[in-house]
Amino acid sequence: MSDRGAHAHAGYRHDALLHAGTAEFVARTAPFIRAGVAAGEPVLVVTSGEKIQLLRSELGEDAQRVRFADMAQVGANPARIIPFWSEFVDQCAGAGRPFRGIGEPIWAGRSEAELVECQRHESLLNVALSQETPMWLLCPYDTEALEPEVIREALRSHPFVTEGTTQRESGVFRGNVASAAPFDAPLPPPPSGCHEFEFGPGGLATVREIVAGAAYGAGLRAARVADLVQAAHEVAVNSVRHGGGRGILRVWRDVDALVCEVSDQGRINEPLVGRQRPGARAAARRGLWLANQLCDLVQIRSTPSGSIVRLVMHS
Amino acid sequence: MMSLIRGGVDGGQQQPMAGWLEGDPMYADKQLVIRHTIPPNGLSFSGVLDIFNADSVASSLSDQLHGQGDLHIDLSNVEFCDVSGIRALVTAAETAGDGRRLVLHGLPPLLQKVMTLVGWGELPTLALCDCGTEQQ
Repeated sequence: MSDRGAHAHAGYRHDALLHAGTAEFVARTAPFIRAGVAAGEPVLVVTSGEKIQLLRSELGEDAQRVRFADMAQVGANPARIIPFWSEFVDQCAGAGRPFRGIGEPIWAGRSEAELVECQRHESLLNVALSQETPMWLLCPYDTEALEPEVIREALRSHPFVTEGTTQRESGVFRGNVASAAPFDAPLPPPPSGCHEFEFGPGGLATVREIVAGAAYGAGLRAARVADLVQAAHEVAVNSVRHGGGRGILRVWRDVDALVCEVSDQGRINEPLVGRQRPGARAAARRGLWLANQLCDLVQIRSTPSGSIVRLVMHS
Repeated sequence: MMSLIRGGVDGGQQQPMAGWLEGDPMYADKQLVIRHTIPPNGLSFSGVLDIFNADSVASSLSDQLHGQGDLHIDLSNVEFCDVSGIRALVTAAETAGDGRRLVLHGLPPLLQKVMTLVGWGELPTLALCDCGTEQQ
């Protein structure tokens, strides 16, 4: 059973772990964690608070040598998860030993919009870390709780799959090139009659006013209104600077959120845009990074005809 | 560190930080006015600092960095500042030599948060003065 402990992971490994229910989650992840602890490897587990409790009691004293983080906090906006792993990698790098992670970004309660961004996140994880990174990352998927199509997508976004006690290559993994390709999955169209405003370089103040008015109207707290206004402004600046000088702002109320969308004719070709913590250097781009830190969800799409950035703020 | 004497004109809509005395404008456009302040040796910003005036502001700032000692900047009357605007301050701070710093005062809470989020919260030549609550 300790094939997990024996497996040398010289380079980066990204596995989907298919498990049926919480008991099997613990049964499969605990040995993986123990093997890491026994080998003196740093281990970071990012999952739900409930599963963290279960793992702590299962692991006993070993739990003290494991770092846990609540995915509901780290990954409420899934685009914040890669920077979190990158930080862990930076902390572990140079110690001369491999390290392991467990990350569960997808659970049954995720909204449709969050789910598709989590799936994009899983694909990007293949290219976010260099192939030499000595990290073994295991991503649990609960086959009892998740739709079959979610499991099928997990097989496409992970090179390796663990099911029961067997490990295998996925066979349908989409590959690193496709993982990094511009994301063009269609978004649900904005509702007809939503507020629409075409802006150019002189329209940013109006963009801010429209977003602020709508955000107050949706009942957002003042600090969150300001966060959303800042994010929408930065995204609109990107349109003015990199998206052909103009863009269209659309704003509407969703069931429990305010949505602001900026579309323009530019292309967004950097797959990890908004997911890499900017350094101190003045020149680095920061707009989409900031949007990801300020908003509950950011959806970026890029097609040959243009790009869309959708900002979601729950009310 | 600062006196309790309030600078500016009582009843004015936009007063500088307590203890700061404003002088003549050194920069003005349709959305931003920058005035000299003495004391302290610095500048007070009032209005909007964003992509449209960030470059002009950056070059105005670099002209002010030839003197001695820290340059203090009052941002308490900034209504909005975007990443380009912060970049202008960071760029100015980077060009300040001889141990000179840009010391930012009265940062609106969101601006302080944004600076930290984008990785400019801790630069050796850019100090954030924890005095945002002095004015109220």
